[in-house]
Amino acid sequence: MAVQPEQVTRGPGGGAGVAGGPPPTGHRARRRRGTGPVRRRHTALDRGLPYLLLLPATAVTVLLLGWPLLENVLLSFQNLNARQLIQHLTEWNGVDNYRGTLTNEDFWRVTGRTVAFTAVNVAAIMVFGALVGLLLNRLGKGMRLLLSLGLVLAWAMPVVAATTVYQWLFDTRYGVVNWSLDALGWHSMAEYNWFGGQYSTFFVITLLIVWYSVPFVAFNLYAALTTIPAELYEAARMDGAGAWKVFSHVVLPILRPFFLATTFLEVIWVFKAFTQVYAINHGGPDRLTETLPVYAFVEGVGNQHYGMGAAISVLTIVVLLVLMSSYFRVVAQQKDEL
Amino acid sequence: MRRSLFSRAWPNVVAVLLFVFFAFPVYWMASTAFKPRGDIIADTPVFVPLDATLHNFDTAVSADHFWTLVRNSLTVTIGAVVLSLVIALSASFALARMRFRGRGGVLVTVMLAQMAPWEVMVIAMYMIVRDQDMLNSLVPLTLFYMVMVLPFTVWTLRGFIAAVPRELEESAMVDGCGRTQAFLRVVFPLLAPGLMSTSLFGFITAWNEYPLVLILNKQADKQTLPLWLTQFQTAFGDDWGATMAASTLFAIPVLLVFLVLQRKAVGGLTAGAVKG
Amino acid sequence: MKRKRSAVVAGVVIMALSVGLSACGSDGDGDGDSASEPAKPEDFAGKTLTVWFMDGSNPDQWTKDITAEFEKKTGAKLKIEVQQWNGIQQKLTTALSESSPPDVFEIGNTQTPSYAVTGGLADLTEIKDDLGAGQWTESLSESTVYEGKQYAAPWYFANRMVIYNKDIWRQAGIKGTPKTRDEFYAALDKIKKIGKEPLYLPGQNWYVFDGLIIEKEADLVRKDGDTWVSNLGDPKVGEAMEVYRKLQSYSKAPKDKDEATPQQNEVFAKGDVGAFIGMGWEANTAIEANPALKEKLGYFTLPGETADKPAGVFVGGSNLAVAHNSKNPELAREFLKLAVSNTFESALAKENAVIPNTSSLNYVLDGNPAAKAAAPAVPFGGTTPLIPQWAAVENEPNPIKSYMTAVLNGKSHEEAAKDVEDEINKRLSQQQ
Repeated sequence: MAVQPEQVTRGPGGGAGVAGGPPPTGHRARRRRGTGPVRRRHTALDRGLPYLLLLPATAVTVLLLGWPLLENVLLSFQNLNARQLIQHLTEWNGVDNYRGTLTNEDFWRVTGRTVAFTAVNVAAIMVFGALVGLLLNRLGKGMRLLLSLGLVLAWAMPVVAATTVYQWLFDTRYGVVNWSLDALGWHSMAEYNWFGGQYSTFFVITLLIVWYSVPFVAFNLYAALTTIPAELYEAARMDGAGAWKVFSHVVLPILRPFFLATTFLEVIWVFKAFTQVYAINHGGPDRLTETLPVYAFVEGVGNQHYGMGAAISVLTIVVLLVLMSSYFRVVAQQKDEL
Repeated sequence: MRRSLFSRAWPNVVAVLLFVFFAFPVYWMASTAFKPRGDIIADTPVFVPLDATLHNFDTAVSADHFWTLVRNSLTVTIGAVVLSLVIALSASFALARMRFRGRGGVLVTVMLAQMAPWEVMVIAMYMIVRDQDMLNSLVPLTLFYMVMVLPFTVWTLRGFIAAVPRELEESAMVDGCGRTQAFLRVVFPLLAPGLMSTSLFGFITAWNEYPLVLILNKQADKQTLPLWLTQFQTAFGDDWGATMAASTLFAIPVLLVFLVLQRKAVGGLTAGAVKG
Repeated sequence: MKRKRSAVVAGVVIMALSVGLSACGSDGDGDGDSASEPAKPEDFAGKTLTVWFMDGSNPDQWTKDITAEFEKKTGAKLKIEVQQWNGIQQKLTTALSESSPPDVFEIGNTQTPSYAVTGGLADLTEIKDDLGAGQWTESLSESTVYEGKQYAAPWYFANRMVIYNKDIWRQAGIKGTPKTRDEFYAALDKIKKIGKEPLYLPGQNWYVFDGLIIEKEADLVRKDGDTWVSNLGDPKVGEAMEVYRKLQSYSKAPKDKDEATPQQNEVFAKGDVGAFIGMGWEANTAIEANPALKEKLGYFTLPGETADKPAGVFVGGSNLAVAHNSKNPELAREFLKLAVSNTFESALAKENAVIPNTSSLNYVLDGNPAAKAAAPAVPFGGTTPLIPQWAAVENEPNPIKSYMTAVLNGKSHEEAAKDVEDEINKRLSQQQ
């Protein structure tokens, strides 16, 4: 697998190998076979050992993730509302829920919106996060500590509280943001209603999500940067490379797996983000800021059509898989390279 | 080579601005917690609560069952984190160090499991637990939280184990250590940053979880703190002061966990920042 | 989050909380109309009855008294669990599917029909007379009957009135309180002249609007063959909206927000607003935020077209229901009889300053100016359409709120109604 967090957060003693990248797996395996005695003595056990080690993880995953997933898929083929839930009725309705969802233009509009929303947010998070990470690497000890403190605070704040605070900050009448803009001379913003329009609402949601997600990217990038030996920079500089060139020729290639891994996680997290999107303006105005998870919630839980909600959630997974398929392809290629 | 004042100063200026950007909402939460009612919604924002009061904290802490909920939250969260670490360690060791048939499939499964849409599967999970007659128990909660963080834990630890040079482990084995001993003595101590980042992730995920506990555990003494957090928003208007006080208290354990783990990890503040 | 709550509990967000009132015990005016065949303590010894009340519904003294009375009467234990608003719909629906649900629970009046069709509520038709069905105020008990069967007992109610700042009204030179809509507008004009905001009314205070619709005798839904469809386009609804638009024009409040964002009582508490249309408890919250207001608050019934008939109001409130799966069905019925008996009904009304289920008990509101101002409108009040399908319409984003904002921003009634009727019909046609 190409996602190599070992480069991101390499433990002590591991730094030396980074510059050259991890040794090719084939080489490792060969060398390993060479250490004959240790290996051969345990052949029978060794063959079973990996499966034994994987057994607990597999068992709990099958039981606690597989089962609910299966149940969820089963529910998606049922007409399951409050009445059926309360009376323990099972009313199969075939693919009605799927047909209902897929023929609903709202679903497709929400899907498109969710993809765009994810793209914008992930791009913003990665760029901003990378810049903050680079800055951390450049700062002196004191300032680095200060900025780290800010990042940690943002990331430790409970989501519900963060959402509530953002609602206030952007409140039309009593919000600090409007008050500040007015005080800075932009008087038309004094009573600006951030939650009145689709884009301005998305702006606030995006700000909240970026604010909340950047610390993760920034810290990890900084950690990864510290594993790049200083000699590499110096060598590059001596060759006359500018800041951009150092970044693009030295830092980027080494951090490629880091960016792949982090982008992967961020895509999943932003795509699935529910609390922030829902709580800020409840998908409003006029359902214009609903993303797929919010849509599934409003249709399924809000309206108590649990079967329909299950179908939408299954489709949500499918959409995410399609989005990720290109990523998986990249991963597969990288695996060959290594 | 002398650098101009400007080029020396700008990173610091930017750092201060960023600090304000990231810390301000948190400051606003904490300062609101100390404000008397009239200052919370004010035409001119009250930036420093000069007439600070502890009234909001009082309200938050004197809620029914508060200490029971603290205990439940800690039990469930720590249980989930420890279980997932143990299970993930063994799995990630196999994935990082061994070649076996089906390894690729397992890795892909780990990535796929990462995408599980837990928030929208709550009803399915509820129906399973209900039909197993296990409602109002901390056990299913702990197990579900454990499996929610398991894929991330396996994935991250796998990377950390792979980063430990194989030679270290092998030389220990040549020196007469068994494989288990070699792992415990050589590899495990080097995993500190990895254990830290995954425990933090697990801690935050389990600590914040709300939709599942809401419907699984309806008995008041079997609930967890996220339910307490929302109870100050009532039909009689939301008590924002108390909500913010509760949120502030709620965030403290996360910060503590971060500080404690951070000291243990040689990699410093940086290695483990993982969001929930 | 809080929106989820208000969507979920729709009409129930109207509890009254009286901070200023002294606690009053049950004044024991006879045991009224409780059980026809009294239960004997030995029947239920060792059993425990679980009751869910919503946060703020059951005041302390009342709770203490009814627990003592119930335990004495039946020999069983009473366990009262106070529920939070967040996520209550999910919690209640799932609880009703369990083998040990709460035996008795509080449920919003407008939500009762949709729970009645789920089969989660026990049929109480047989004990309806023991519960006192004969004396219930009609506009309050309508919601407890679905398709001819009694599924709940009306418990307590609340409705909106005008809460005003006497200082500002004095400064504006207004004498007395308005009795008709024209007098009300005239008063608001005077406040405008002294440079204050006359009325705080956000564009999406949909329950105020619903009251005006009730006043115009318009219906929000009509039957089209077998199915319910939107009737929002009715010109009578347009007339109601016209009244709302006129009232709203006196406010600087956002046109696309409801009364909870920001909390209208907190805005009013600043002391710069002449009046707002709200519940009794909101006055108390305002006083808590700004104690200086205490002596300055006044209340009057929202005036209608003529002096003899106040404006229509939405009457929200709570019913008490018994779970169909209850393990203690008899005990649950005993509790229900006790809770809605005249003794406890009047004690609750008095302690919480809420409207009791029968107007014959309204006298207990004497001495509470807010409840006094609210009560006269109740007989002219009503609810949202009492069909199970209606709850879906009010789920956020509530299309009627979108309609209101559109009209206030200049769209015509017909056009704005047309824009949201598809959505309303879609929600009404959802399978149950």
